[in-house]
Amino acid sequence: MSTNLMPDDRRHLALRLSALQYVIASAFALLAVGFWVFQVAQHQKFAEMAENNHLRKLPQPAPRGVLLDRNGKVLVENRNIFNIALVREQTKNLDATLKTLAAATGVDEAQLQETVSRRRREPSYRPIVLVENATVEQVIAVKARQWELPGIFSQEVPSRQYPAAAMAAHLFGYVAEVTEAQLQKTDYEGAEPGEIVGQAGLEQVYNRLLMGTEGNKTVIVNSVGREIRVLDEQSSAPTEGRTMQLTIDADIQRSIEDGFAASGFNGAAVVLDPRNGEVLGFTSRPSFDPNSFAGGIDRATWASLNVDELKPLQNRALQGTYSPGSTFKMAVGLAGLEEGIINPEFTVHCGGGANFYGRYFRCWKAGGHGTVNLKTAIEQSCDVYFYTVGNMLGVDKINKWATLFGLGVKSNIDLPNERVGLVPSTQWKQTQREKKWYAGETISVAIGQGQVSVTPVSMAVYTATLANGGTRVTPHLLKAVHDGKAWKPVEAPPPQSRVDVSPEKLQAIRQGMWGVVNGGGTGGRARIEGHDVCGKTGTAQVISNAGRLAAARSGKNLRDHGWFVFFAPRDNPTVAGVVFLEHGIHGPNAASVAHHILATYFAKQDGKPMPPAPTHEDLRIDYKDPYARGAAPIESGGQ
Amino acid sequence: MFERRLFFHVDWLLLGAVLMLTGIGIAMIYSTTYVTPPTGGGHAGPQVWTQIYALAIGMVALLIFLMIDYRMFAEHSLILFGGLVVLLVFVLAKGSTQMGAQRWIPIGPFNLQPSEFGRLTIALLLAMFFGENRRGARNTSDLVIGGIFTCVPLLLIAKQPDLGTAVTLLPVFLGLAYLAGLRLRLLGVLALAGLMVAPIAWKFALKDYQRSRIQTFIDPEKDPRGAGYQTIQARVTVGSGGLTGKGFRQGTQGQYKFLPVAHNDFIFSVLAEEQGFIGVLVALGLYLFVILRSLEAARLAKDRLGAYLVGGIISGFSFQVIYNVTMSAGLAPVKGITLPLMSYGGSSLIATLAGFGLILNVRMRRFTN
Repeated sequence: MSTNLMPDDRRHLALRLSALQYVIASAFALLAVGFWVFQVAQHQKFAEMAENNHLRKLPQPAPRGVLLDRNGKVLVENRNIFNIALVREQTKNLDATLKTLAAATGVDEAQLQETVSRRRREPSYRPIVLVENATVEQVIAVKARQWELPGIFSQEVPSRQYPAAAMAAHLFGYVAEVTEAQLQKTDYEGAEPGEIVGQAGLEQVYNRLLMGTEGNKTVIVNSVGREIRVLDEQSSAPTEGRTMQLTIDADIQRSIEDGFAASGFNGAAVVLDPRNGEVLGFTSRPSFDPNSFAGGIDRATWASLNVDELKPLQNRALQGTYSPGSTFKMAVGLAGLEEGIINPEFTVHCGGGANFYGRYFRCWKAGGHGTVNLKTAIEQSCDVYFYTVGNMLGVDKINKWATLFGLGVKSNIDLPNERVGLVPSTQWKQTQREKKWYAGETISVAIGQGQVSVTPVSMAVYTATLANGGTRVTPHLLKAVHDGKAWKPVEAPPPQSRVDVSPEKLQAIRQGMWGVVNGGGTGGRARIEGHDVCGKTGTAQVISNAGRLAAARSGKNLRDHGWFVFFAPRDNPTVAGVVFLEHGIHGPNAASVAHHILATYFAKQDGKPMPPAPTHEDLRIDYKDPYARGAAPIESGGQ
Repeated sequence: MFERRLFFHVDWLLLGAVLMLTGIGIAMIYSTTYVTPPTGGGHAGPQVWTQIYALAIGMVALLIFLMIDYRMFAEHSLILFGGLVVLLVFVLAKGSTQMGAQRWIPIGPFNLQPSEFGRLTIALLLAMFFGENRRGARNTSDLVIGGIFTCVPLLLIAKQPDLGTAVTLLPVFLGLAYLAGLRLRLLGVLALAGLMVAPIAWKFALKDYQRSRIQTFIDPEKDPRGAGYQTIQARVTVGSGGLTGKGFRQGTQGQYKFLPVAHNDFIFSVLAEEQGFIGVLVALGLYLFVILRSLEAARLAKDRLGAYLVGGIISGFSFQVIYNVTMSAGLAPVKGITLPLMSYGGSSLIATLAGFGLILNVRMRRFTN
């Protein structure tokens, strides 16, 4: 055929074919070099990148440690809460699903829409939590309508279970996700971002022990992040947090809560074992529900807790400072005895008031107490007696003995953010106010007014120190820790200080306090048959009489605070404590609350059935303002 | 038509290499499309079976294009060309749309992609056109006429849009024209014209996604989650394979879908990941053998038509292989250019095997008259 290749043509073609061969062969050689560079020379780098692509380390949260009371009763444990979540890739009609879900759960549909749209950029297989901490009713409603709700399911997530009715909320504190700022602190060393840590109370102080060690699991994920399978050999199981036994007695704690609930007042109470400082009960009210933090608190609840005028988040037992009122009188009496200024037989005549430095100081009892000795003065809470003793002592000696007994200093309890009260001294006034102390100021200090301020927990220490004869025990909450194998008892922290008060002198004070409760004194309501309860009431003015008149119309609660400090039995006391009623009007009301606590304590000790929770009527709360000195102006002020 | 003695002139080595590459391709498709349901167990993906059916049909096509004298095909190439254009117009009018492009004609359970047969048709037509021309050297007018023939299907395919497949027509035309004695100076002018047109094409002819693909190829880190993703992942896939690879079905990049369309455009990346540099050398060696052996067939061809036909087919094939392998290492912009013989795709496999039928045909009939 004419198209057959001529020799000339063939040579020409062969030349061009060879050229093509060489071009293609060199292209292949270059490709081989290119693959060599990636696959051999730079293999390490790319191998790491491939690994980072498909391996994910997922944290496995460790269950937090359980908190038990001193008798092994569970106080705080872990529970699973239910979240209702949505997986968008399984829904067909998102709007219809959300509408049905809103109807089934009673959650606002717009809020559901908002949650979904906020997280719309996330991969559609990832669950979006729509209802946090759902109620059983909501979970059942969702399950019942499952076929109408494709892509909606309920998931169980670990959470913390605190006792009901906000019991001891300030003691336990609460948990929440660790914050950026906390991650920088050594207190939270070992916490990973996103981890749940203690944010207040015991949860915060013992966070390191309670937290345990987070485990992790390594999973293979695909390009859209879906988990394909778990690599067991590269995973580690979480280690549970330590179980802790607290010094708290659940029954005592309950009795405090019940007493407060029946009284209708806010305030604080701390009950100790005066022999070693073990805290048996600890309350601050108003309280909050730490359970609402455990599943992630919603913004509205958090805001309302923070703006609430009553400050429910404040731990009044540690952070509230108040005038001790008459409960301070034992410190003054003790100082007088120890300094040798008075003896128990020292008497003062009370005619309803006395003059000091040109000013007339009234006793609370308008008619006066007549001639009183130390015991009667404490029993009757005679102001004039202590004005006199205080005046003889001077402020610095009062300061010395009050401090030795735990007032105006920190108790160093194992709870965060304790505040310190104040027992004034000349030096304090000089350094803090740069003014000289006037002897006239000592008169108010002697009855626990003026600049004196104390925290309820320091009052508990003060009472315990009176009870045990001068050992300022350190209140503490931890009794034993379970290290996974066995219980390791926690040694009680050493006392803050110790003074040897001669028993005879102390006995005079104790006799007075016994008389307060058992001898027709102001604390008669705390009396327990067969157990020599000693106590002292106190009423602390919130505002001066003149100020009260001016502020009467402001609507603020300016009623006096009521105190009751106690220990029992009189000889070899085993329990001591304080009840503080904020605006509780007067001390005897606090004694009513203390009565229920003591009744519970002794019923338990004696193996008798524990008293039922008191009713409001049982406490016989007295709302009359009993103090003559405020009464008249207030009446005229129209309160 | 088919004489028994011709059987002895079949290039069994070339056929063997072609089938080996196809086999490797099916194995890699099996590996990347393997289905592992969360409930456990696992089975081959449907793509494997499609590819095996296509291989069977492709072998029939290969036999047809082997047994009938290639001159018969060349003589009727204008009719084939007409048929191709009709099909491409039909695709644009009524074809099925997948992944944003209109490329397929559904035939029963299969989808025919007519554009894949473009290279073969163009090769036949141009081989006929240049081969039956008596003059020794080709001049400008030949080039223009050849160019027009090439551009008709090229534009129709580009319109689908399937720029990748469309572009593969060019090396068929250029390779064939080059073997036919096209002056190198003319090729140079053509290249220069191409360079001058490029900025205009950049601005007007390319679509946004095409522009972004080229931009991100130049700087993939600029948009590592978006358009640069494929380029980066291709390099990671290849590089993480190392010398000996991660093992069959053990690749993480392909298995967990970090590399998109792994069984298709990026099949070679998966091979590199699972079989390593050694596997790459084996595959590249086979491809190079196939190409050089085919060029040998062109050299041995008894007439210009046969030589040009083989040259045209193998130019297109070589371009596809080189471009796809370069791209699979993240060294070229991502284009929809598949790896012939290995990538998933029935039409492509059938057309490629038919093309090798013609190459074998030319070599087999080198002594006939």
